[in-house]
Amino acid sequence: MKKIPVTLKVNGESYDLMIAPYRTLLDVLREEIQLTGTKKGCDVGDCGACTVLLNGKPVNSCLVLAATAQDAEIMTIEGLAQKGKLHPLQEAFVKEGAVQCGFCTPGILISLKALLDKNPAPTMEEVKTAMAGNLCRCTGYSKMFKAVESVTSGLGR
Amino acid sequence: MKFELLQPRSLQEALEMKKNYGDKARVLAGGTDLLVLLKDQKLTAEAVMSLAGVRDLNFIRYEDGRGATLGALATHGGVAASPIIQQKFPDLAEACSQVGAVQIQNLGTVGGNLCNASPAADVAPPFLLMDAVLILASARGERRVSIHDFFQGPRRTVLQADEILKEIFVPEVPGRRGATYLKLGRRKAMEIAIVGIGVAIHLNGSDQVVSECRIAMGSVAPTPMRARRGEEILRNQEVRDGLIEEVAVVAAEEASPISDVRASREYRLDMIRVLCRRAARVALARARGNKEEGL
Repeated sequence: MKKIPVTLKVNGESYDLMIAPYRTLLDVLREEIQLTGTKKGCDVGDCGACTVLLNGKPVNSCLVLAATAQDAEIMTIEGLAQKGKLHPLQEAFVKEGAVQCGFCTPGILISLKALLDKNPAPTMEEVKTAMAGNLCRCTGYSKMFKAVESVTSGLGR
Repeated sequence: MKFELLQPRSLQEALEMKKNYGDKARVLAGGTDLLVLLKDQKLTAEAVMSLAGVRDLNFIRYEDGRGATLGALATHGGVAASPIIQQKFPDLAEACSQVGAVQIQNLGTVGGNLCNASPAADVAPPFLLMDAVLILASARGERRVSIHDFFQGPRRTVLQADEILKEIFVPEVPGRRGATYLKLGRRKAMEIAIVGIGVAIHLNGSDQVVSECRIAMGSVAPTPMRARRGEEILRNQEVRDGLIEEVAVVAAEEASPISDVRASREYRLDMIRVLCRRAARVALARARGNKEEGL
């Protein structure tokens, strides 16, 4: 099938690509732009490992056609650290040991960043709702909750 | 998964394309169902028409006394977070907030959920409760179809090959409306409903007499459906002990659930009764303006 020109704006950078129209944003991020931090788990929207921000909102990049994300601001896990400095959530995950195999971590961090961007002091219930679309099959959730708490409890003080 | 991608920039352009392609072009809204079906090869398409460029179909409008109009591309997340929908149509807000999880709600649309026509579609029961009217558009013009006539079977609707669902109109009802949607799954998120029940109670004047009761059920028949016989039991009746139980029993009799990977027919019938009872109590409490009670 004929490739089509697509321009994607990822983590503030513009990428001019020639891609097949049926390729997903996930595949294009990983294979064309080599941003492999975004993981491919189930590829059908069940696991959340491929979560990226599309105009600030978390979505499953496996369920988005790259060509339809042309005009959007896309943020992947690679865009989370700013100027070589880890995001507070990333710091907290490292400190609390909230990473086991690490496969779900990028997606979970993106989901949590989206939550904290609009709600800097969420309740644990809100944290769980924000993470409900991300599976951790190491089942290491409790340390992640602790890590989030360590970031949000410092707020408002 | 291979197909030609059509990217209309306006509804007009989309309708022209649909006229030319007909059944050959599948309409892509949020993609949370269609892309999964295409990837699993449960469906093939020569062409896929993405509505991502048709921006004026993502809106929620409310007119006091008349009702609400939702663009077909309003997302579950947008509807669930809408203050006016939460206030006037809490059953719809609840249904949208229980579709998949955040990521799915940000992509999936109410129009897509209806057109996908799954018997388990979460937004179908609230729209059935509201007697929603769907505005179907084609290059030939527009027509209005009641939600009660829209579903024809699992994954089948009355949409013609050249038609696109444009808007959903929800009329406001007189008096006080209390409503809720309860969904049963093995977990709270990322679930397809084992049973989904919506109940709306309308009060006119007295807090004791129900002027109208509406019950909508998902995942219990080939299409989402209303339980009309159950509804009759409460219409113009004073609420008393045992009446809601009777409604729930009759509603279950109207359903024709199957046994599948998610649950057996017997379990579903049991759960219709449980959820129907709970939903009726919540709806009644809301219509009376009480805080949540009765669950």
